Amino acid sequence: MSAGSDQMSSTDTDPQTEVAALRARVAELERELVEREAWANRAVAEAQQRVYWLDRWGIDLNALMQRPGASQFRAGVRMVRGVYRVFRRTKRRLQG
Amino acid sequence: MGGFSVVIPVKDGERYLDEVLSAVMREEPDEVLVIDSGSTDGSLEIARRSGANILTIDPASFGHGRTRNLGMERTTGEHVGFLTQDATPCPGWRAAYDEAFGIDPRVGAAFGPHLPRPGTSPMIARELNEFFTAFSPDRRPRVQRAGDPPFLSNVNACYARTCWEEIRFRDIAYAEDQAFGADLLAAGWSKVYQPAAAVLHAHDYPFAEFMRRYFDEYRGLRTSLGHVEQFGLRSTLRHVAGNVAADRRWMAEQGIRGSASVGWTARAAMHHGGRRVFAALGSRAEHLPPAVQRSLAHERRPEADRPAEASGGGPAVAATTPVPARLNRESYEIAARVWSEGEAPLRDVPPGLAERERLRIAMVIPPFQKGSGGHNTLFQILARLERRGHLCTVWLHDYYGAAAYVRPGRLRHDIREYFAPIEGPTYNDFAAWHGTDVVLATGWETVHPILRLPDTHARVYLVNDHEPDFFPASAERSLAEDTYRHGLHCIAASPWLRDLLRDRYGASADAFQLGVDHDVYRPRDIPRQTDSVVYYARYSTPRRVVPIGLMALAELHRRRPGTRITLFGAADPVPTSFPYEHAGVLGGEELSSLYSGATIGLCLSLTNFSLMPKEMLACGLPCVELAGVSAESIFGRDGPLELAPLDPARIADAMQKLLDDRELWARRSEAGIRFVASHTWEHATDEVEAGIRHALKLREQAANVPSPSG
Repeated sequence: MSAGSDQMSSTDTDPQTEVAALRARVAELERELVEREAWANRAVAEAQQRVYWLDRWGIDLNALMQRPGASQFRAGVRMVRGVYRVFRRTKRRLQG
Repeated sequence: MGGFSVVIPVKDGERYLDEVLSAVMREEPDEVLVIDSGSTDGSLEIARRSGANILTIDPASFGHGRTRNLGMERTTGEHVGFLTQDATPCPGWRAAYDEAFGIDPRVGAAFGPHLPRPGTSPMIARELNEFFTAFSPDRRPRVQRAGDPPFLSNVNACYARTCWEEIRFRDIAYAEDQAFGADLLAAGWSKVYQPAAAVLHAHDYPFAEFMRRYFDEYRGLRTSLGHVEQFGLRSTLRHVAGNVAADRRWMAEQGIRGSASVGWTARAAMHHGGRRVFAALGSRAEHLPPAVQRSLAHERRPEADRPAEASGGGPAVAATTPVPARLNRESYEIAARVWSEGEAPLRDVPPGLAERERLRIAMVIPPFQKGSGGHNTLFQILARLERRGHLCTVWLHDYYGAAAYVRPGRLRHDIREYFAPIEGPTYNDFAAWHGTDVVLATGWETVHPILRLPDTHARVYLVNDHEPDFFPASAERSLAEDTYRHGLHCIAASPWLRDLLRDRYGASADAFQLGVDHDVYRPRDIPRQTDSVVYYARYSTPRRVVPIGLMALAELHRRRPGTRITLFGAADPVPTSFPYEHAGVLGGEELSSLYSGATIGLCLSLTNFSLMPKEMLACGLPCVELAGVSAESIFGRDGPLELAPLDPARIADAMQKLLDDRELWARRSEAGIRFVASHTWEHATDEVEAGIRHALKLREQAANVPSPSG
């Protein structure tokens, strides 16, 4: 009788422990999910803040860059910007 | 049912009718019906002699689609063949159609080729031959299904009654057969081209008549199929040259040479060129003046241009105008999807979610404008929920596409500028939906969309007002009522509204009290006038019963002509029988000054109590509101508000009492400030947060979720 009781108590405890452990794991994963979502929400909100003027004027940069000549135009702007920077740097050096 | 009927509409068709009916009778149909629409030649006599049944109709009631529907109604055959008065069936015609319908039970119609009569112009004969041969080069029956050409011609066609009963001919001026072909294929039926069911049909018309017939044909194609014939000088020249060359080859094959060939070549060039021009004109007929249309059309009967009498003597349908699809969905399609497909299943609630410190909350909103009171309430609360650590996102649902141009960055900026400084991201549709703990519907337009959103633990309905009352009997009213019947836990913006939702719809509901921004709405250091009324006269909002309020003010003006009356809340002044000051639409600071300088306020609402009376009270301005609606649920019967029934004289009494009795005025003013002191947005947020957690608790209870402690 005594041995049987011990056995029952042991099988009762194991599932309970397992359930508790699983619940703790679920809670941990949920916390992790919330943290990740908080980070993602912040990133999206910051991006939305940055693109306000584009959105305000209905400019879709993705669509714009898919137009013919867009990447060449971008490369051209970069080149002009590079030349301008070299010019400015040189001017600063010459002026001491 | 079984049998084969033949229907032939006739008008002055004696030239070929005898030959046609004789050929039809040889095919031994079960019945033949001739529908005569006012022949003045010997057509009727020929029909009588042939033994056909005759139905005479008023010429004005004729319509290509309408009259053929009548023919179907007045015959009984399972298959009904249609011929024109000049289409002579070739031997084996009926048997060929019987064979066509035996190919597949879903064959709804069949048609056969039109063969040229002897002496037909080479260009017509050649084109007919090429046109019909293209349907079946090996001369075997061909089944056509969705995606195949919709071509069908009532010169020579046969219909299955079951298909016609489903589709019917459209009541259009021309090309009803082509429309039927398109409709039949779209409805999942098929049709058969049967080369053996031929008729002799083609014959020559004078050039002008040919051109008018083309004009009609392409006008009909535009109406029935939306086809617009392209036209360009170069392409027309290419078209004419190509066709004339083909005609010359055909003539050579037929042995037409020499001067006959030269003459036919010139006629062919005129014919093909003229057809291009008249086809282009016909498919653009709606842009031509009616007189020009009439002069170019062959169909000159009045019904081609104006509504005619239907066969039953009732009013006829006017000529229809094709309207292309402009929306990618109907406005309330999402509601229909909820009804037909049901709600998206909710996710199981993990133990302890209701008590979790940080909840993920998605708020779905309808479009807004600057100054939207309901949206102000939503974002005052949402911004505070964020400050308490909850992860909040905002999703716009735009039933009507009115705000479709608003991109997320602008949406978020406008919310922050107009209402409250929310921190979370905003979305202008559900493409990026990624699930949440709780999704909040915030207006009747947002409920059906959230019912279809997956990966959600609970759905909650933040109810600002009883919105069905915003509409007369309508789709909107029905849809708004439906929103309370989907088992969403409601958080209502007053105890009155909560009780209404519980009692009328059986909804589970909590309540919250609208807050007041006490930094803005407080007694200002402005001398208060002793005899003035400010009235929220927003006449564009019917629930504000502005006509009643104006009658009350007219009565007050009659009793106290010296009382200064100011109306605000509408951009344009409303005409009245009394003089007043028009203040227009005001912002918070201006309103606060207005309230602080006036003697009494008047603000009426037939539905839920709004923020405005609270803001008036917060500025020390006693206010008159309607009794018996929602105000008592917040202020009690003898609270800081002066309540009056919906009666102009009684409302005027209430205003007069406050203006005359300085002691009463002072008591109401002090009581109002005291009363609303505790009505803050923080308190409102406490109540809404408790409501959200209550909704999660209810979900836990419904799912029998054990407590987190085990």
